[in-house]
Amino acid sequence: MSQHAIADTPDIADIAGGLDAMEDGIGIFEADRVLLHANRSFLTAFECLSSLGRQFTYGDFVAHLARSGEIVLPLSAEHWITLELSQYGTRRKSEYLLADGRTLEFGHHAAVSGGLTVVLRDVTAAKSLEAMLRRTKAEAETSNETKSRFLRAANHDLRQPLSTLKILIFSCMQEQEEEHRRDLLHAMDISVSIMEDLLGALLQIGQLDAGQIVPRVSTFQLSQIFERIGLQFSHQARERGLKLRFVQTRATVVSDKALLERILTNLVANAIRYTDVGGVVVGCRRSGSGIRVEVWDSGKGIAEQHKSRIFDEFYQINHDRHSRKKGLGLGLNIVQRLAGLLGHRVGVRSVEGSGSVFSIEMPIGDVWQSDTVASEVSEMVGGEFAGTPVLVIEDDAVLQDAMRELLERWGFRVTAVQTEEDALEVIANAGERPALIIADYSLRGQFGTDVLQKIMAAAGGHIPALIVTADVEPRIISEIQAAGLPVLIKPISPPRLRVMMHNLLFEPGSVTAGRPE
Amino acid sequence: MSNNTIPVGSLVPLSGPSAIDGGEFRKGLLLAVEEINERGGILGRRVVPVFADTGRQSADEVVAAAARLIKENRVHAIINGYNIGPQNSEYETVADAGIIYINHNTLLQHHDTVQSNPSRYFGCFMANPAEYWYGQGLIKFLSWLRDTGQWQPSSNRIAIVSGSKPYSIVIANAIANAAGKYGWSIGYGPRVVSTPRSEWHDIIKELKACEPAVIANTHFYAGDLAAFQRQFFEAPCNALVYLQYGAMHQAFADLAGQSARGVIVSAVTGLLRDQVGEEFGRRYLERFGADSTPQIGCQCYNAMHHFAIAASVAGGTGGPGDLEQNRKVAKALIDIPYRGVAGTIKYHPSWQAAVPFPDHVHDPSLGMPHLFYQVHNATGRLALIAPAPYNVEKFFLPDWYR
Repeated sequence: MSQHAIADTPDIADIAGGLDAMEDGIGIFEADRVLLHANRSFLTAFECLSSLGRQFTYGDFVAHLARSGEIVLPLSAEHWITLELSQYGTRRKSEYLLADGRTLEFGHHAAVSGGLTVVLRDVTAAKSLEAMLRRTKAEAETSNETKSRFLRAANHDLRQPLSTLKILIFSCMQEQEEEHRRDLLHAMDISVSIMEDLLGALLQIGQLDAGQIVPRVSTFQLSQIFERIGLQFSHQARERGLKLRFVQTRATVVSDKALLERILTNLVANAIRYTDVGGVVVGCRRSGSGIRVEVWDSGKGIAEQHKSRIFDEFYQINHDRHSRKKGLGLGLNIVQRLAGLLGHRVGVRSVEGSGSVFSIEMPIGDVWQSDTVASEVSEMVGGEFAGTPVLVIEDDAVLQDAMRELLERWGFRVTAVQTEEDALEVIANAGERPALIIADYSLRGQFGTDVLQKIMAAAGGHIPALIVTADVEPRIISEIQAAGLPVLIKPISPPRLRVMMHNLLFEPGSVTAGRPE
Repeated sequence: MSNNTIPVGSLVPLSGPSAIDGGEFRKGLLLAVEEINERGGILGRRVVPVFADTGRQSADEVVAAAARLIKENRVHAIINGYNIGPQNSEYETVADAGIIYINHNTLLQHHDTVQSNPSRYFGCFMANPAEYWYGQGLIKFLSWLRDTGQWQPSSNRIAIVSGSKPYSIVIANAIANAAGKYGWSIGYGPRVVSTPRSEWHDIIKELKACEPAVIANTHFYAGDLAAFQRQFFEAPCNALVYLQYGAMHQAFADLAGQSARGVIVSAVTGLLRDQVGEEFGRRYLERFGADSTPQIGCQCYNAMHHFAIAASVAGGTGGPGDLEQNRKVAKALIDIPYRGVAGTIKYHPSWQAAVPFPDHVHDPSLGMPHLFYQVHNATGRLALIAPAPYNVEKFFLPDWYR
């Protein structure tokens, strides 16, 4: 029976129409493997079938498909054809990825007559959903594993300093002698810092595990990081009697500023931790087209058998069982993982008993692209008055606050007081003299001019100063003029104040005493 | 003024010591307005420029001129070059009227004023980067010369002399602050000297004692800088000399003569030497004569065109008091970068000032180029040597360098 016979019968035509309405492709082959009927979806499922028309055999179907390149085959085309033909009439299901990215399910349904019905179903959406669920499950499992590891590590390493802390607190409560109390407090401080380090390191590991750290690569001056790490560790190194030196660099590098700082912080912390005598030197040198930052220490060094494992998580070399502050075995693991994220190479050279050199290598950057300034550029950072110390003597708290806010916005370092007594105390105790003084004329029964005179006598020399007053009485202005001081009338105009302060500091010749502005 | 026209004011020093620059600011604005009107104005309305002389550019003169433009001429915007002296006092007058004000004051103070009350100063824009960037940019420029082997400095020391104006002090401080990060150290200064000043021998002697690789003088008067350079040239040392803005003027070249060859100068806004810049230069000279200076006129020209585009996108301009419409124009100015004859005006959303390239942004299409020049010969021709992609000539060692 041919397919035309079906179409000639009105009822059968209706059935064919119904089959055409289906999204699944349906192809019905007879026992002699000739196509009896195929709906529209089947015939249009593959570009290669268009040349076959509506009369073809299962063998034609398989051969055309195999050689079309439209589906991804698990075997060679010839093998696949042979296999498919040999399995004719068996009930089975298989999935194929199509060249256009879809996934098609081939359902083979055996007919009683010995024929075969092939159902083609687009399962792309279902597969995508399945993949997403698999990913989510894997992420959840990783997250669970991370959490468990985090908790195991926390449980293990936090217990020790916590129990120490508990004992120390108890002892401290009992202790009467001040010196012992101080020792105990110092020991408590160490325990707390161990816990801080541990939590910080675990958090970093957790973030790395969760894939939450995404590098933000930019071009910057390496010296910025050296400066920050130097500030961070100088005290600690000094306390341990070590010399910590950063060799000045002018290198421009390409990296993630925060992550590179984290890497170097870990390397420097390790170097200080494992060095008892001597010091730590951080410097960099050119290496091909890159820059290699090296952290040298004169510490214990690393024995050959440990070298391959020092970057493993929680791996520690137990140099000294009685060490008060041992490492956590996480620092170098973090270094290596962060370096991996950045594509930087980490290296280590060490001689046991002589010290170690840890290094990290990164690309050199273009100095024009270097990012050195804060994102917000303001007068506070770069104005003409930035960092200039000024003393404000104003007994009205509201006015004093307003003045402080204004001056700080312009970059001044402001010390504000309300009385002569406080002002003299500032002069006596401050490490540096103010570069400028702004004094109110009426100060709780005293005159600003007199207060300024006493301040300058106490400071042992002239300090540029100006008077502010709400009183415009000519007698008062004359008195201020007689004292050789310039004056501003309240409410003060910020631009005028600014010009006067500039003149007092930089162009004193243009300042006129007493003339109210 | 007819309802069918848009009055645009300009605060320009047409008399006084800055009258030469003031004249060019006026010409730049005029040329832009003529071009805009030729194309049909702003949404069909002709632009009418109104100039107010700011004389010696004192606070009183500038504020009074701004008030006049707003009250008498009812201007919808004020667009001009710089006015040294008022310390942004005119911002108050503009903010009270709620109109658009675009200046080229080159002051870091602009950032703070705008950010202190963004709602009040919504209309205040600075179409060039603040003077602060001169310092940052110079250090990058010097490091680039050093790191690319174009110049081998005799030491890592920089000597800095500053004039006594805020502009010079800010730049000198910025140079000093950036130096250390790039491997430089400050061997002398920043020494603030009282200016104007034509006698520099003592200062030069002092600063040479530190054997500097670079000498930077951030004072900006052309005549004083020429005197500095001549006196340095009498007994030079192996140092590059960087002089601030005034050294770009022809007056500097005329006074400094042969001693100027090799001096480095820079501008955070300058006319580009590409096709766009050169065509503008040609039109400018044709319109105003061979003795005019498109290098200065380009600033107002750029800013006026940008304003016209922003106002058109915003649906028109607004007069004094029409805050609603002017806020729309201000928003369009921030949203739409403009690539003009001096590079790109891209306003920073908080500073409302043009962002500099490469001092702050690394994409030349999003920043106004900080251009570095070297005086090429005794006639004062300036070779544009950095940064890429705008540079057209190469750095050379100055004649005094041994």
